[in-house]
Amino acid sequence: MRYYLLLLLLFVSVIINAQNTAIGTNEKLTFSASYNMSGLLTELAQVTMETSEVKTSTSTLLKLKCTAATYSKWDSFFKIRDLYESYVSPKTLTPYLYKRDISEGGYEKFMQYKFKHKTNSIESIKRKKRGDGSTWEEKKKFNISATTKDLVSTIYNIRNLDIHKATPGDNQVFKVVFDNEEFLINVKYLSKETINTSIGKKECYKLAISIKNSSVLKGNNDNLLWLTADANKIPVLAKFKIPVGNGELKIVSATGLKN
Amino acid sequence: MKKFLVILGFIAAILAVVLSVTPLSKIAYLPAVAALVFGSIATYLFKGKQDSKKSIQLIFLMTIIALVVTTYKSVYNTVEVGNTEELLEKENESEENAIEELEELEIDEADLE
Repeated sequence: MRYYLLLLLLFVSVIINAQNTAIGTNEKLTFSASYNMSGLLTELAQVTMETSEVKTSTSTLLKLKCTAATYSKWDSFFKIRDLYESYVSPKTLTPYLYKRDISEGGYEKFMQYKFKHKTNSIESIKRKKRGDGSTWEEKKKFNISATTKDLVSTIYNIRNLDIHKATPGDNQVFKVVFDNEEFLINVKYLSKETINTSIGKKECYKLAISIKNSSVLKGNNDNLLWLTADANKIPVLAKFKIPVGNGELKIVSATGLKN
Repeated sequence: MKKFLVILGFIAAILAVVLSVTPLSKIAYLPAVAALVFGSIATYLFKGKQDSKKSIQLIFLMTIIALVVTTYKSVYNTVEVGNTEELLEKENESEENAIEELEELEIDEADLE
């Protein structure tokens, strides 16, 4: 029993103090999101993932920013301008502040989480636009577990996993807070694969992502993510199953990499 | 049988025309091919008969228009992001607010470099 407890403690401490080895401070990844139906690819939006340094009076944090903007041909039909931000520790990628400001075809929503790690809680602000143009706000405080992260920092934490030590079939579970609710995201390492991308032919780790107890991103290896099998672990391709056809996210360019 | 094929052909051809003018124009190839197949079968099966062929000709005409529009769009339209000024403004404003919020937060020393 004592042995198991020690192993558990060791495992927890490895997870908590996992050092950031993959993400640099001025990294910019650009993707093209498209919809694929019977091989006919329709490009929908540009997605970017950027990192930068943010200084406060007492500390320097890493800002992880993800944006999504529809291509101009879609703007008159369904305009998307989404902004997701997470301010994390540059060393351990622990989130402190998360912001989500989305505008999708007239629907506008703002979410903010302040992570209070000492009390394992979150102070959240939700702001939504009503049909008549006015806005309403809701403030909430709720408890989370010690390892819960936001969506953006979870994506970067997946990149920071020591996949080279894993064997195919290994799983890692992440606790993610989204819309004031906690979800369990399961990341399963499937295999190594070499694929052609816009940034060259890359050997990649193929991962399957699923959310437990949710109707989106269900199991059965339908939602896949390919990370380059090098120290940067750049996400180069992602495929998501949707009721008709599937969605794809392909890398267009990658600059400012750490390694 | 002929009527059925013509109706299917019409539905597919109309769908192809509608899809070809939307940004989802590439998908118009699927109903366009279906319309051509239905139209061709209808023409082939009832070659010698004296029925009016105008409806089948109309199916072909619509399909050709859809295919021309779709092909033109896929060749000449480049994908580019529209106006993102709004988003950039939002980003700058958000970072300024975030720094204020972060000043109030307790950040673990061990987490910092």
